[in-house]
Amino acid sequence: MKARWLDILFLGALLFVLVLLPLLVNNYWLRIATGALMWAGLACSWNMLGGYAGYINFGHSAFFGLGAYVTALMMVDPLGLPFAATIPAGIAVTAACAVIIGAPTLRLRGAYFAIATWAFAEVLIQFATVMEFTGGIGGLSLPPFLNERFFYFAMLMAAALTYLVTWALFEHSRFGLKVKALRDHEPAAEAMGINTSLVKLQTFVLSAVTASVFGAIFAYWVTFINPKSVFGGDITDQMVVMVLLGGLGTLWGPAIGGVALFVVNRLIWMYWGDTAFYIAILGAAIVLVVLFLPNGIAGLFAKRGRGSVSVLGKAVEKLVGAGEGDRK
Amino acid sequence: MSTSTQPLTQKPDAAVDPILVVRGLHKHFGGIKAADGVDLEVGRCEIAGLIGPNGSGKSTLFSLVSGTVAPDKGEVRFDGRDIAGQNAYKVARLGLARTFQIPALFDNMTVTENLLAAAAEGHWPGAHERAAETLALLKLEHVADNRASDLSGGQQKLLEFGRVIMRQASLILLDEVTAGVHPNIRKIILEAIAKLRERGVSFLIIEHDMEMVRSVCDRIIVMDSGRVVTSGPFEEIVRNSEVMKTYLGRPQ
Repeated sequence: MKARWLDILFLGALLFVLVLLPLLVNNYWLRIATGALMWAGLACSWNMLGGYAGYINFGHSAFFGLGAYVTALMMVDPLGLPFAATIPAGIAVTAACAVIIGAPTLRLRGAYFAIATWAFAEVLIQFATVMEFTGGIGGLSLPPFLNERFFYFAMLMAAALTYLVTWALFEHSRFGLKVKALRDHEPAAEAMGINTSLVKLQTFVLSAVTASVFGAIFAYWVTFINPKSVFGGDITDQMVVMVLLGGLGTLWGPAIGGVALFVVNRLIWMYWGDTAFYIAILGAAIVLVVLFLPNGIAGLFAKRGRGSVSVLGKAVEKLVGAGEGDRK
Repeated sequence: MSTSTQPLTQKPDAAVDPILVVRGLHKHFGGIKAADGVDLEVGRCEIAGLIGPNGSGKSTLFSLVSGTVAPDKGEVRFDGRDIAGQNAYKVARLGLARTFQIPALFDNMTVTENLLAAAAEGHWPGAHERAAETLALLKLEHVADNRASDLSGGQQKLLEFGRVIMRQASLILLDEVTAGVHPNIRKIILEAIAKLRERGVSFLIIEHDMEMVRSVCDRIIVMDSGRVVTSGPFEEIVRNSEVMKTYLGRPQ
């Protein structure tokens, strides 16, 4: 109980600082904070399926990009709709795509889902590049709205909502128990009456839809998008590394990893400009996490036992179709 | 062996109102006939023991009945419903629960969470109280917040059994649930089985320990090479030298 009060106190203080931040820092740092919130939210959305269900999504940028493109297409001429109207549309399109990709592939164990998601993101890059209505390789320019505080609070709200939903759904509900059960042992979860295919699909749709909301805000914020900038594989790569570094399958891991890596990214950019140094850091982070921190930074604080089995181990088993003996 | 199907329905010990009826169940894995026309019944409130040498098809039978593996052909009737080839989760929701030969726990979840996950798709109100009762019944309270993967082998067997209790099933299939555990843990499990039977739960139990089979089972079903060889009360089966040769003549 004591620990719970400390949690609430810490959360309250954090929220207080985040709400007052626009008064404390200049626009430059506010933009960095906005980006950090976006990455914390995106990492959390990837973690819903990757961490809680153990299914690795190698094409999560597809849903971020779909949200961005739907918003852009609806806001530019000839539609010229207001920003708020575009978010539900982005959610609907993303959910439909997630069902189409997830329904056939999430029934299967092994790499099928990972390959399908990766391929989907690649298809979308090509599609957005060759089609005329998406602006081709040149992309789309949205009507500019240069209010940094608006975007900061939009990202803050989206991120807070994402973490609230994750906390309620994956940490404190029957649904979360089902998701974690199927991650750890699918045949046993089925034997407990859990419709694993359905639960996986629901989780995937929620994860995809969340990413699309951040994509929508991002597009309006940066006012210019192109296929690479919103569908690019490096977007997914970053989310994966952020979650692995912070702690796969934990609530706060993606926030820790997301903020840490994004700030490192910006600092490198400030001092060295656009270098490949950041990519090298991402690679090194993966190696170090896999070797020394299978439960991520959050795992250092969690009460752990001998820890022979990790969430990462379960996810890898699913990816290669191994483990879960006694399936006959 | 060829007349294995006949005695089942005629013997006085066969259940009058069976909760589980298996007829002509076949499953081939390549050239291996894991189930080669299995016929058996489990009566209501009965504790039936399933014995046979390793590789005789006992665990495969569990997977076929519980829906984890689809049979090639044959009939499985549970509580009057045909469940052959049904999805495992649908069979489970009808009230059939099983354990796995190799403990199939939710490794990254705590002991309590494992129990709650078993009730997540079922009668949820009161699940927390039932989880606490189950922890007490199985004497696992002191490890309630430990991760399942950090339990000892015996504790894992207990937890596997505890999840089945949480299902509130009418038929429970136990696959070597006391194999290799300390006598104290075995005693806990045996007491829990007796308690559940009083509540009207039926059991089908795979077991190699003949002493355990003698003490808990009302009736023994003997399998060999994917078929039911015979069934009957323990004493009768032991007197049948043919069966004992089949079973004991081919030790692991």
